[in-house]
Amino acid sequence: MGRPYLGEFEELVLLAVAMLDGTAYGVTIATELKKRTDRIISLSGVHIALYRLEEKGFVKSELGGATNERGGRRKRFFSITGLGKRTLDEMREVRNELWSAIPKLSFS
Amino acid sequence: MKKPTPPIPPRWADKLLRFFLPDELAEELQGDMHEQFEHQAEQLGFTKARWLYVWEVLRFCRPYFLKRRFLAKLNSLNDYYFLINPDMIRNYLKIAWRNLLKNRTFGAINLFGLVMGLTTCLLIFLYVNDELSFDRFHSKADRIYRIDNELKFNGNHHDLAVCPPQMGAVFKASFPEIENYTRLRWSPNILFKKDGQEQWVERAAYADSTLFSVFDFKPLAGDLSTALNEPNAIVLTRTQALKFYNSTNIVGQSFVTDRTTYKVTAVIDDIPKQSHFNFDVFIPMSGDNESKTTTWLSENYNTYIVVRKDANLAALQAKMYKLNHERIGLELKAVINQSLEDFLKSGGLANISLMPLVDIHLKSNKVAELDGNGNPDNVYIFSVIGLLILLLASFNYTNLSTAVAANRAKEVGMRKVMGSSKGSIIAQFLAESLVLSLVALFISYALLSVLLPSFNHLANKNLSLQEILKPQLVLSSLVLMLVLSLLSGAYPAFFISSFVPSQVLKGKISKGFKSGWFRNSLVVFQFSITIILLIGTIIIYRQLDFIKHKDVGYNREHILILQNMGPLGEHANSFKKELAGISGVDAVSVSGFLPVNYNRNNNTYFKTPTADFDGSVSMQRWTVDDDYIPTLGIKLLKGRNFSKEFATDSTAVILNDVAARKFGGDAILGQKIYTLQDISTKVMYAYTVVGIIKSFNFSSLRQEITPLALFYGQDTGNISLKISSQNIPALISQIETKWKALVPEQALKYSFMDEDFNRQYEADQRTGKIATSFALLAILIASLGLLGLVLYAVELRTKEIGIRKVLGASIRSVYSLLTREFMVLVAIAMLVAFPLAYFLMDRWLQDFVYRVSIEWWVFVIAGLFTISVALLTVSYQAIKAATMNPVKSLKSE
Repeated sequence: MGRPYLGEFEELVLLAVAMLDGTAYGVTIATELKKRTDRIISLSGVHIALYRLEEKGFVKSELGGATNERGGRRKRFFSITGLGKRTLDEMREVRNELWSAIPKLSFS
Repeated sequence: MKKPTPPIPPRWADKLLRFFLPDELAEELQGDMHEQFEHQAEQLGFTKARWLYVWEVLRFCRPYFLKRRFLAKLNSLNDYYFLINPDMIRNYLKIAWRNLLKNRTFGAINLFGLVMGLTTCLLIFLYVNDELSFDRFHSKADRIYRIDNELKFNGNHHDLAVCPPQMGAVFKASFPEIENYTRLRWSPNILFKKDGQEQWVERAAYADSTLFSVFDFKPLAGDLSTALNEPNAIVLTRTQALKFYNSTNIVGQSFVTDRTTYKVTAVIDDIPKQSHFNFDVFIPMSGDNESKTTTWLSENYNTYIVVRKDANLAALQAKMYKLNHERIGLELKAVINQSLEDFLKSGGLANISLMPLVDIHLKSNKVAELDGNGNPDNVYIFSVIGLLILLLASFNYTNLSTAVAANRAKEVGMRKVMGSSKGSIIAQFLAESLVLSLVALFISYALLSVLLPSFNHLANKNLSLQEILKPQLVLSSLVLMLVLSLLSGAYPAFFISSFVPSQVLKGKISKGFKSGWFRNSLVVFQFSITIILLIGTIIIYRQLDFIKHKDVGYNREHILILQNMGPLGEHANSFKKELAGISGVDAVSVSGFLPVNYNRNNNTYFKTPTADFDGSVSMQRWTVDDDYIPTLGIKLLKGRNFSKEFATDSTAVILNDVAARKFGGDAILGQKIYTLQDISTKVMYAYTVVGIIKSFNFSSLRQEITPLALFYGQDTGNISLKISSQNIPALISQIETKWKALVPEQALKYSFMDEDFNRQYEADQRTGKIATSFALLAILIASLGLLGLVLYAVELRTKEIGIRKVLGASIRSVYSLLTREFMVLVAIAMLVAFPLAYFLMDRWLQDFVYRVSIEWWVFVIAGLFTISVALLTVSYQAIKAATMNPVKSLKSE
């Protein structure tokens, strides 16, 4: 399968974009990940992951309108593409299969 | 500690962040960063948020962003490559050419101005280059120095280009830094005799045999290293060899003269024009007996030394100074029994300086230079003027292009709408000025070859056509052209390319003419320069006129001078009587000393027979006959003239009143003054002062009159005749017959004193003429610029004028509407120019001891002239516009 490689952090970011659905941009993604993972999340790391994802075709982005917040600077909103969605689904399936193939162990 | 809201992240960190980020991501990322900062400031407090912000910024320093940033830079460079892509260049040039053809009037005005500016600049460049290249052709030029002496005693101050006879030899023997030395001295004219014919060699020099190892001259025949060894050797230049022998292959031939018979030992190529001395023949120094004396108190020899490459000049100079003092001390002790300390204590001074060979032509103007040197002022003045004229021309271009820009605003607007970048529009306009300058350069070169002969005449130079085509000049003129086109094209290019398409296409920019403070200041600048040049020219001419007609204290009109009367010998007196007998000749005087030539001889005279330096005066000693004072119309103030009736007049002296004053005033009349006959024998001569004459100018009017003493005696150098005859050719032929009878083998040489006098100021006359040409050129260029601006202003306001006229404006009011604006500019220019011109010309005049004052009417004339030229330029267009039928101007569109 010729699908581009997806790193672990990238996968997290991609999931966050999918979750935030329409309101995903640097700060919201970073906040979400911080809230849920307990990891140290840096904005620069999030952005690099986002740009890589965009290059790989998993997300697409557009600039939002100017607002009075943040000195009038515009936000770049990210949304998941069809390819991104499919990839997530596939990965989940693969994992599910693997999970189910694990022999039932009992820890009694 | 509460901070005012909203909290701001540290500014420096923000800047750092901006530095890491690629341009296209900067906005969103900075936005995210600020937003996060605000959250954190709310949750964690301001201080902690700041720290976190800085930390976050640092984490942006990642290869990913830096790489993106670098790639973006590369891409933008590619955009610039696009600007100079061959297709684009072809397009620029094509459009440029079309535009030139479309705006013919403006194009022609621009082109004319640029051609003028470039041509002048090139001419001046040639001139300056020539002046700066003097004496550089010698291979050791940078190591050759002339020893100069500065002497001061009893208020007599001499800045000399010459040394005592043995100074060079003594210094070379004492200081290992000196590799070699040579001396030069003017020799009296040599009369060459061959086949019963005689010709004068006027530029002859005594030279040491080391001459050719110090200086490099190209040998054509003979061995230069031994050429001046024999006492009867002579070295000729090519021109002289061809003149006398019709060949340069003449080594070993006899050179028969009135003095002795020389043997030609070598022939050299003509000395290059760019040399500070220019002789026709060299004869050995041994022929000059004075050169062998060991006196240290008589300076007559131009002495040149070659120093070693590693020599310390300052140290050498200090050692020379010390040795010089020792020698002077010895000589003072021996001759007048004065110690060096006393000499120095009484204000005496004996300095030595080393004048670099290459600086002599422009920087040295001392007593006893070998030849007239150049004037550094001319080099500065001409360079500045050349640049100014070029500036004027380029301002014309800038002004007109900016003015016309409004017409092209639509074009620029369209280009921008179609996606043209600012860069390509700038390139477009620069290309236009480049094309124009290139065309101007071609025309300038053509013009240069036509103008060069007249310029040579004007500047007294010998620049050849080949010099124009030297790669050096071609290259520098190309650079000049590039600079010029950048200079004049830059402002219009940036001005026009910054038009905002949405406004331009609506037609807003055409009001740009009003806001032309930049253009206006350029016009003011142009006219200021013009006015300064005009005032300068008028004052130079007034000064020259002043000199021409100044009462110099003697009569120089109607004085005929017969030169080289030496061969008369004992016939001098009978010839004088014969001349006096010719009708039309009022008076005849025999004397080699005339106020217009430079046969000078300074001596020290004492009030007491003990040679006490206290109260002594250094005076020129002129030997004259008893007819000298009446012939030249010199005014006798006190006492009497020399006379044959007084047998004692051979020991009489007449002083000029400057000398008399130094000796203590009129009381000196009837007293005796003394001088050393010979410095080594210490025998004193005594002279009785019999008369005091009014001082007359016997050197340039740039200098004060110095003390002068007339002695009664025979000196047959020249004969001066005061003539009243109207028929001068007939008179001269009469004199010639009488001369031929006495000296058949030599042609009579004569001149008129007023012409000789004016020749002294030839250089100034030349400066005057050149300044006039430049001033006229400047006013031409400035008016052309003005013409262009008026043309444009009228064009722009055609409709306005039409409407004004329809509403009842008179021709006069329209006229004054159009001219007022420009006249204000000229008036401001005058305000700027007058004080500057006064300051500059005052400095120039300081150079003359006898000078005109700068009078107010000079400014009035220059101002009026400028105003009338400007008014004339503006008026034609203004009247044309004012009288135009409004129907015509309003009909179109």
